[in-house]
Amino acid sequence: MSQQFSRRDFLKLAGLGAATTAVLTGCGPASRYVKREPYMEMPEYTATGQSTYYATTCRECAAGCGLVVRTYQGRAIKTEGNANHPLNLGKTCARGQATLHGLYNPDRVQEPSTGDWDAAVQVVADALKNNKPEEVAFLMGMAPDHLFDLISDLANATGMNAPVRFGALGMFEARATLSKAAENLFGQAGLPHFDIGGAQVVLSFGANFLETWLSPVSYTRGFVGLREAQTKQRGTLVQFEARMSATGGKADEWVPLRTGTEALVALSIGKLAAEMMGVAAPRAFAGVSVQDAASKSGIKVETLEHIAKMFISQKALAIPGGAALGQSNGLEVAEAVLALNALVDNLGKSGGVYLSALAPAQSEYHRPASAQEMQDFVQKMADGKFKVLFIHGVNPMFELPKTIDFKGALSGVEQVISFATFPDETAAEADHVFPDHHGLESWGYQRVATGTAQPVLSGAQPVVSPFYNTRSTADVLIAAAQIAGGSFAQALPYADEVEFLQTKVAALMSEANGSFSAMDEVGFMASFQQYGGWWRNVDGRGIPSAAGALNRDINAGDAEFAGEGEFFFVPFVSPTLAEAGANKPWLQELPDPTTTVMWNTWLEMNPETAHELHIENDDVVRVVSEAGAVELPVYVYPAIRPDTVAMPFGQGHTAYGQYAEGRGVNPADLLGQHFNGAGDLAFAGMKVKIEKTGKKQQLSRLESLMGVYGEGMEAEH
Amino acid sequence: MIKTFFDWLKKPMGLIAVGITFLTLFSVAAFGLYQTQQPPAQPIEFPHKTHIAFGIQCLYCHPGASKGPSAGIPTQEKCWACHNQIQKTQTSALLAPLKDAVISGTPIEWVPVAIVPDFVQFNHRAHIAAGRNCEECHGDMSQVNIAENPQVMNMGWCLTCHVEAAGDDQEKLIKLSDCGTCHY
Repeated sequence: MSQQFSRRDFLKLAGLGAATTAVLTGCGPASRYVKREPYMEMPEYTATGQSTYYATTCRECAAGCGLVVRTYQGRAIKTEGNANHPLNLGKTCARGQATLHGLYNPDRVQEPSTGDWDAAVQVVADALKNNKPEEVAFLMGMAPDHLFDLISDLANATGMNAPVRFGALGMFEARATLSKAAENLFGQAGLPHFDIGGAQVVLSFGANFLETWLSPVSYTRGFVGLREAQTKQRGTLVQFEARMSATGGKADEWVPLRTGTEALVALSIGKLAAEMMGVAAPRAFAGVSVQDAASKSGIKVETLEHIAKMFISQKALAIPGGAALGQSNGLEVAEAVLALNALVDNLGKSGGVYLSALAPAQSEYHRPASAQEMQDFVQKMADGKFKVLFIHGVNPMFELPKTIDFKGALSGVEQVISFATFPDETAAEADHVFPDHHGLESWGYQRVATGTAQPVLSGAQPVVSPFYNTRSTADVLIAAAQIAGGSFAQALPYADEVEFLQTKVAALMSEANGSFSAMDEVGFMASFQQYGGWWRNVDGRGIPSAAGALNRDINAGDAEFAGEGEFFFVPFVSPTLAEAGANKPWLQELPDPTTTVMWNTWLEMNPETAHELHIENDDVVRVVSEAGAVELPVYVYPAIRPDTVAMPFGQGHTAYGQYAEGRGVNPADLLGQHFNGAGDLAFAGMKVKIEKTGKKQQLSRLESLMGVYGEGMEAEH
Repeated sequence: MIKTFFDWLKKPMGLIAVGITFLTLFSVAAFGLYQTQQPPAQPIEFPHKTHIAFGIQCLYCHPGASKGPSAGIPTQEKCWACHNQIQKTQTSALLAPLKDAVISGTPIEWVPVAIVPDFVQFNHRAHIAAGRNCEECHGDMSQVNIAENPQVMNMGWCLTCHVEAAGDDQEKLIKLSDCGTCHY
């Protein structure tokens, strides 16, 4: 037998033996034994081995989508959309899914900086009591939530400054511009609501509605309606932008116009469309020269004609948004694009433009502060107008342009108190950090500002007990107001946050057309939590008035660009991270939808430009604007104009925990202080210089480094 | 060099060496396999047989078995409800870990022994509802202290019982032997 026993046989046998050992031991139960920690006291509504589901509201952005969170033995396991919720109908975006990474984030602020909460409440009470009301300021995140109402009540009763809401998303969405344009054209301020799902042809001027714009989950659903081809003809999307966004990537036609010429192009399409309709060009469009617009924008007249023809031949809709509005003439861009809708008479009609439904018990649209209003606010801080600044739900050190110098202005404020859940840049500069619970541990409600036809008050409740020694900011303020006494105590006469919520929400019991009704307050609140909010089963959207929309001059003018460089600079919000996702590894690991880059910031540059400058993928360049300079690797991107470079916003944190810190760069460091007619930042109205550094830094990306367009192949062979 | 080695392998000494190597591998594998079948150590030497001897029903401590997928491990609250009235709890060394855990408020880290892989969706309720008794799968717990697993809980074992239960009923057999019954 030994004669036939070859080396090969020996190796086979040895391998087989090892594999058998591995398999047999690996399949045994011992490999699966885990420790289980049973409850010490089982909550009565919990059954072992069965999940409990709670409806709440997503706090990752200000849209206000409803969530249903699966919990298992007191731990949140999975978030999904609330199928009943009118805004998102059971869907979520990646950020909604990743909210668990915020809850379980190892870098959370785990206790108040004073050590115990009694001392913290005393600090807040002293800050309220010992300063004049006009010396106390509140800066909050964008969400129009219960805390905003609570602080507004406090401010109204005591004469304190009304709370200011701000967020980078609102800045890059140019919400103030949209609202102002609606006011100018339709006579009523507010966020327009675009019924993408009901339209057949959609012209989007820079609106990245599939990514982060206003209410991305709801608009993505609208896009599904546009594309749906079972019961109607498949709709068409035309995207006008200098740099192809993920939304542009989904478009049927991508029109790479020169940054700053959006208004001219919109007016030209309006003029051409009017001619094709056989009517005299309305005053709004009459002043524009199509030839001039074509040469300035770099789009052929034939293309404009073809789009104008498409625009009038079917149910059409035009949407202004994103970088198109972040120009010196951004307000005129918004007006020109909204005027296109008036031309095809889609105002207040299916597939057209509406004014967003106001939330229940809301009398007017509460707009977040524009960048210019924030500049004023920061100036007041620097001038010492505020003795105390409370900050909640926003990270202005990271989100505001560096030139506005929030950090410098903090020295003008005697006491800065942050309620941050995470140790962000602003919390690091604060005198005290009194951490709020994570969104999944908190009570609350939030008004849905836009995205659905129904007026919605989205409800929030804790899905898990708080993990750390954190406390709800509403509870801290209520307790502090009681200690401060006088008008403070009178303004907030509640035992706690839950009583405050009940008082506000119970007022809806008498309203008609509610999604549910109840005989008593307790039953009403129980249903409010169970359904994840209360909404009216009616179309609450406003119908814009067409009267003054077209009979007015829209002076597109030439957009002004700040800075010396030769490249237009387009910062855009990272579709995966947005402004506060960088501390969540799931989002960091999620490839950017267009470039597939992960864990970093990149500069998008056209291959032609890169070739001329002798720059290759992963070459580190220095981008210099009038406001500052940053160094980052280049991503050679065919879907961008050769005269434009683009950079995502979302990375470049100097604090905010281990996953965010020291990763990438922040384009806000390059932004100057130039505003459009509505006070929004002209973030895309800049020119930058590109300098080579000779360094290289390989970007981690999902796609092959050979490039999907074959670029880099030559070097390989 | 290699050739010399293989020539040596063919000599009696070499054959013995191959034999020893093979036996070593085999016994290591056998020992590994044996180890996997041993019940794991528990934080408390919990005597099932003592509790059963007092007449306590299985479902008193594991009520989840009749209600849902998991039978559950009792909470300390439940242990303590009886044990804080029992004098021996204060003195017994065996019960000290329980006393410590309750006083300090830390959960006891039990290790469940009757487990199936993650891709198997086992539900106790259906089995209790079908009239199965606990000991049919878990063995006679009145004879053991800490829980042991008398069965190799693999698919063959599940299916044998499922087929038996179906008897001549073809429709029942299809339901009970369908992949989706346990793997979904």
